[in-house]
Amino acid sequence: MKREDVDRFEKLVGQLSGIYDEMSVLSKKSPSDATNMFKLRFINTLLAQSNDLLSEHYKPFKDFTEFNIDDVPQNSDVVLILSQYLQCFEKLRADNVTVKLGQWYWAVKADKHEQGAEKGFVYLKTVMPKRLRE
Amino acid sequence: MTDTSAVLIRPRLTDYYGVSQPQSKLNFAIPFFAEDSPLYVDPFLLWKSPSQQDQALHTSVINSFNHLNHLLKRGKSTEARDILVLASECEEIGLGHSRTKKGIRIGPSKAAEILALFNDIPEYSKNGFRHFEEIQLYVADISKDRVSDLCCSFIKSFLIDYTLQECQELGIPVEQTTVKSLYSYRDNRFLLNQQLVLPVNPITKAPIILVPKRWLRFNPWISYDEYFKDYCPRDEIFKPGEPEDHVKVLTYNRDHYGVVQSYVATKIRTQADCHNDPLFAQIPVLSAKRRLQSLQQLPTGKENNADRHYEDHLVTLLASLLYPDLDFAAEQSRTVSGTLIRDLIFYNNRSIDFLQEIYQDYDSRQLVFELKNVAKVDGGHINQLNRYLETGFGRFGVVVTRNRLPQAMFRNTIDLWSGQRRCVIALADEDLNLMVNLFESRQRPPIDVVKKKYLEFRRACPS
Repeated sequence: MKREDVDRFEKLVGQLSGIYDEMSVLSKKSPSDATNMFKLRFINTLLAQSNDLLSEHYKPFKDFTEFNIDDVPQNSDVVLILSQYLQCFEKLRADNVTVKLGQWYWAVKADKHEQGAEKGFVYLKTVMPKRLRE
Repeated sequence: MTDTSAVLIRPRLTDYYGVSQPQSKLNFAIPFFAEDSPLYVDPFLLWKSPSQQDQALHTSVINSFNHLNHLLKRGKSTEARDILVLASECEEIGLGHSRTKKGIRIGPSKAAEILALFNDIPEYSKNGFRHFEEIQLYVADISKDRVSDLCCSFIKSFLIDYTLQECQELGIPVEQTTVKSLYSYRDNRFLLNQQLVLPVNPITKAPIILVPKRWLRFNPWISYDEYFKDYCPRDEIFKPGEPEDHVKVLTYNRDHYGVVQSYVATKIRTQADCHNDPLFAQIPVLSAKRRLQSLQQLPTGKENNADRHYEDHLVTLLASLLYPDLDFAAEQSRTVSGTLIRDLIFYNNRSIDFLQEIYQDYDSRQLVFELKNVAKVDGGHINQLNRYLETGFGRFGVVVTRNRLPQAMFRNTIDLWSGQRRCVIALADEDLNLMVNLFESRQRPPIDVVKKKYLEFRRACPS
């Protein structure tokens, strides 16, 4: 992970979580209703960016890249997929963070001559991975 | 003109000439070739219209009608009667309840009865009519289609110009034809057998004139039925226990001009509520949900007429769910090998990309939805629809049934595509459920579900 990857990660996870929350509310109300095209277009944009960042290794499903608008995806389908992506993002974070004196940090590759670098890594503050058992 | 070898069920002007606009997108009521549309031109809508053009047309109708009074006063009662008889039918318009598109003019005696109003009622003699549809309240057997025809006859010249303009915009071909009578506003008389250029019925070669949708209602705003039901002072007209004879009401009205005028004044006061009626009205969401619920609770098969109920629910449901993307054409029944088969026919308006593809790739100018209340669709059902498509419906059909196609039947439809390039897709209860959900939430048009099923089918076809 590089510094800009962490930036992308945080932006994407923030956006996906926001949409996930919105869609969960809709899905609870009417799970079998179709998601409208306006929402789907933005969700697909986020999924495309997510696929790029997660790469094949972290992607939730090999044969899923985005929603086909013509397949009339339903609210519950969208929620399921978004939750899978959020889980995979968390896995990516868990694999790239470290704990130092009880505080969790991203360990990102340092740019050349970057100040504060230790053994080629820079540490950026983050929170504990959600699924980690203490 | 498109290929006319294919049979069209309930052919309309636009579909016949390959114009792909749905009714909802057009300004005029699309005329049927074989029957009238059950709507009428309401002169009151012209009067209350904010458009100066519509108001002016109403004025010209009233002027033309009141000119008959002028003729009477100059002793030209025969001329007045002949004009009224000619004006009483306007069959080029195709509105009303005739199944044959052939209307009948009023007789000379009925015309004389109408004209007598100018002599019998001093206010009309002096000032003429302001709303000529009031004649319904004085003369028996003057119905809403007669009012509509009288109105259209007096503004036929304008309607011809309107028709030509619409045809030019849409590319509907026109040809030389004879209009039997055309009112000349300058001469205040009818010109007979006028040679004009108009769209025609391809079989009978009868001229067709279009009418703007904004003037159409199922019932005129000033209507005898409503007057009789809600406004007429029955206790004054009929003795207690006396049968309510309509002629007695008409006679009463002739002697009580004030009563009629107070009814008309009420209608003018409430004109804000007078709107044109839509040519097709979707059922409300609640009703769609109830129908779906009842449909899903029905058993499969024919027990207790379950198949009839299933089909009845689907007719209303699908016609509403697919509007405005598909205009409903007709519900059909046919018997094949002793089995009654019901299907629904929709005009393919090509309003969305999927329908355009169906039109281009499968030559479907109309879409057939065959209704099957069976637990499991079998090869016989698929073949039945396939054979029916051969009669001129193109190569695309939909089976509406209770459950998804079994895998073997789905393969059967794929084979049909591989061998004959025919496309048969199935809509099951779960798809109808999704369509009704979409109908309720308005998140997407319900026809997207049909498109989805089609794309699923196409993905399964060998490339």
